[in-house]
Amino acid sequence: PQGDYIELHRKRHGYRLDHHERKRKRDAREVHKRSAMAQKALGIKGKMFAKKRYAEKALMKKTLAMHEESSTRRKVEDEAHEGAVPAYLLDREATTRAKVLSNTVKQKRKEKAGKWDVPLPKVRPVAEDEMFKVLRSGKRKTKQWKRMVTKVTFVGPSFTRKPPKYERFIRPSGLRFTKAHVTHPELKCTFNLEIIGVKKNPNGPTYTSLGVITKGTIIEVNVSELGLVTPAGKVVWGKYAQVTNNPENDGCINAVLLV
Amino acid sequence: MVQYNFKKITVVPTGKDFIDIILSRTQRQTPTVVHKGYAISRLRQFYMRKVKYTQQNFHEKLSTIIDEFPRLDDIHPFYGDLLHVLYNKDHYKLALGQINTARNLIGKISKDYVKLLKYGDSLYRCKTLKVAALGRMCTVIKRVSPSLAYLEQVRQHMARLPSIDPNTRTILICGYPNVGKSSFINKITRADVDVQPYAFTTKSLFVGHTDFKYLRYQVIDTPGILDRPFEDRNIIEMCSITALAHLRAAILFFLDISGSCGYSIAQQAALFHSIKSLFMNKPLIIVCNKTDLQPFENLSEEDMKLVMEMKEEAMKTVIGQGGEATDEEGVLLKMSTLTEDGVIAVKNAACERLLNQRVELKMKSKKINDCLNRFHVAMPKPRDDKERPACIPEAVLEARAKEAAEKEKRKLEKDLENENGGAGVYSASLKKHYILANEEWKEDIMPEIFDGHNVFDFVDPDILQRLEELEQEEGLRQEEEADDEDMDGEELTPEEREALAEIRRKKSLLIQQHRIKKSTAESRPTVPRKFDKDKKFTTERMGRQLSALGLDPSLAIDRARGRSLSRKGRKRERSLARAGSDADDAMDMDVDQPSSKKLRMRSRSRSRSRPPGEVVPGQGFKDSAQKVKAIKLVRKSQKVRNKDARRGDADRTIPTLKPKHLFSGKRSLGKTSRR
Repeated sequence: PQGDYIELHRKRHGYRLDHHERKRKRDAREVHKRSAMAQKALGIKGKMFAKKRYAEKALMKKTLAMHEESSTRRKVEDEAHEGAVPAYLLDREATTRAKVLSNTVKQKRKEKAGKWDVPLPKVRPVAEDEMFKVLRSGKRKTKQWKRMVTKVTFVGPSFTRKPPKYERFIRPSGLRFTKAHVTHPELKCTFNLEIIGVKKNPNGPTYTSLGVITKGTIIEVNVSELGLVTPAGKVVWGKYAQVTNNPENDGCINAVLLV
Repeated sequence: MVQYNFKKITVVPTGKDFIDIILSRTQRQTPTVVHKGYAISRLRQFYMRKVKYTQQNFHEKLSTIIDEFPRLDDIHPFYGDLLHVLYNKDHYKLALGQINTARNLIGKISKDYVKLLKYGDSLYRCKTLKVAALGRMCTVIKRVSPSLAYLEQVRQHMARLPSIDPNTRTILICGYPNVGKSSFINKITRADVDVQPYAFTTKSLFVGHTDFKYLRYQVIDTPGILDRPFEDRNIIEMCSITALAHLRAAILFFLDISGSCGYSIAQQAALFHSIKSLFMNKPLIIVCNKTDLQPFENLSEEDMKLVMEMKEEAMKTVIGQGGEATDEEGVLLKMSTLTEDGVIAVKNAACERLLNQRVELKMKSKKINDCLNRFHVAMPKPRDDKERPACIPEAVLEARAKEAAEKEKRKLEKDLENENGGAGVYSASLKKHYILANEEWKEDIMPEIFDGHNVFDFVDPDILQRLEELEQEEGLRQEEEADDEDMDGEELTPEEREALAEIRRKKSLLIQQHRIKKSTAESRPTVPRKFDKDKKFTTERMGRQLSALGLDPSLAIDRARGRSLSRKGRKRERSLARAGSDADDAMDMDVDQPSSKKLRMRSRSRSRSRPPGEVVPGQGFKDSAQKVKAIKLVRKSQKVRNKDARRGDADRTIPTLKPKHLFSGKRSLGKTSRR
């Protein structure tokens, strides 16, 4: 059979005599079959099916509600304006009690508290034994002064290791990342940008100097891709971003740009 | 010859289905149970396996897609062009390229995450890494899902393309829409192409096959072409242009001389001249169709001129091929597909021209030399000038002539039928050729039922003969019966008569007893024979009965007792028994009973047994030593079967070393560490 043989056959011979009847009945039975399957399916299959079905049901409900909306006239609600006052209070002078603080005071307070205007102001502290793994060295494996970092790190491009014998902190190359997925909070789009350096790790200055990247770390990224320009006309090529996920669990660094 | 069969491409799943299939497969085919307390290397391995398995599956499936879809550069240019026209080469290549990149990306993801998994120090970390890996792979596929959908559509359409072999003998039909191309192909092949009065009924190429001189020809029906500049042509027309351009085929250019297709001959001629460049080096035949509506001779002057111009062009192709210079008939043909007038002639002309051209080409090519060496037609060289025609005997010639004459002369039943009004009117008389004793019986009607019986059951051609035989037999038997005398009653002696009466009496008694027993059997319990004094199977009873008849029972009793198997302790009692048997009178039952219970006085006669080495005359042994040796040999060669129920050499087989049902599967409860 070649070409549109199915349609050709339908054109020439039409349908079976009971075709439409059977089709109608089959479609009617589908409903029951689906519900039987929904009840009988077990395990992961059942869960996935239930999820799909729930989504379908929600959509169905919405469309039904939409259809049921009638274009009848409704009462218009009188919106009360802000600060609108009932008639018996009109003559009083409203006083607002608010403390006016100057900007500088606010900033000073923030500095003292250590809170900055960042997307993640507080992060869970990471303990040292979680961060480092103790490596035994020496002829009898008794010396325990070496540590291996278990979290994701960033080392610059010009990084060379110290001689292995004297190296105290080992940053494995498998856990070194150079790129981060940075989201622009207003544009809501994500770019894959290179990391320039680690600015601050909230868990401590040691970690900052080591270049460890955990959740909440401020990193500096190369934004020349975005084509940002200062009002003066200079091209911006580096900006700060804060890491929003646990890179060692996800295998990638997701960050939010600090504008 | 590669068969261009695109029906064998596997189905391309949609993005979502693809992901579902692979993920569910991973979930089913890799181990699922893992606990926090396992060794870290075991945890890592568990999750790494999942990541790798998923990647492998993706790789496999994507590779099949990429390999099965044809590469437009590797296939015949006709198909390459056709696919380009239908699906747009760039889009097609891009889609496949995207699938390729997706495959590579997934490979990279898997590698990276397996590397990262090596540093996983807790179950949670490994688990999240695995989730991230699989999620990333699935996003790659999701991004590629439009390409997958496109490829699936392409595949479905490709499967319905006609399988045209571009290298074999092909006839191509082209012309304006509605001129009768599809009707023509329906007439000469078995292709069932839709024929409708509107233009562009045929929207794609159709192929049919026809035979000529024991060779198979492909006939390709194309959609109609309109006279437009090349750039403006749509996809449907481009299909036919592609076919015209790439296939080495005989071309039948159809002309509708009646104008019922809606286009005048002038338009059709214009089309011809615009695509005549495509007719280079191909045998071209101009076919004037629909002669039933407008006979060719009645064409107007201008139309005739145009047609002649076209013919001139066609002739050029003939000459260009090096064929006969003025083969008028083979170039311009008239036919009508409705009345089927001239259709076969057109087909034959086209096939002939094509075949000649192909043969010419083959002769000119270098390959022919290899073939030519293999052909050799041997003709005997004439010895002298004498004519030696074929020799047919006279008789055969005469027979042939007679047969021919007879064939014409003989009147068939069919002719008779046709003369007398046809099939429904005339019914042939089947009894015409009956062979009967009397000719007048031919038309007689035979009765079928007579007196409630079927006549044919009683019909027998030899019936008279049989009757005679029976009568003879009857006569003989009656004579015999007359000879027989009644023997009953007169010849019995008084003793015999008595005995007869006795027997009859006894028999009737038995019958009576049996009847009584039978009638009361359900109400009364039956006494088993061994406790029933009168009916016990004992030698005493036998003895009694025998003596009642007047015979001496002792010998019989001895013999019966001697053969009995329940005798024990034969040795001792034998002498006693022998001594006692002659003296005793078996009649006295009560005296015998107690003693025989103890001693079993009656002997058991042993069956005769021989020592092992004794030579019996009929067996064929020379002496005892030989027989003993023979017995030993037998024992050695045939080992008695060991029935100790212990395993031996022959019992050592392992039917299946690793039966699948014991080594696979998960346990709902319990461990699978021991199998």
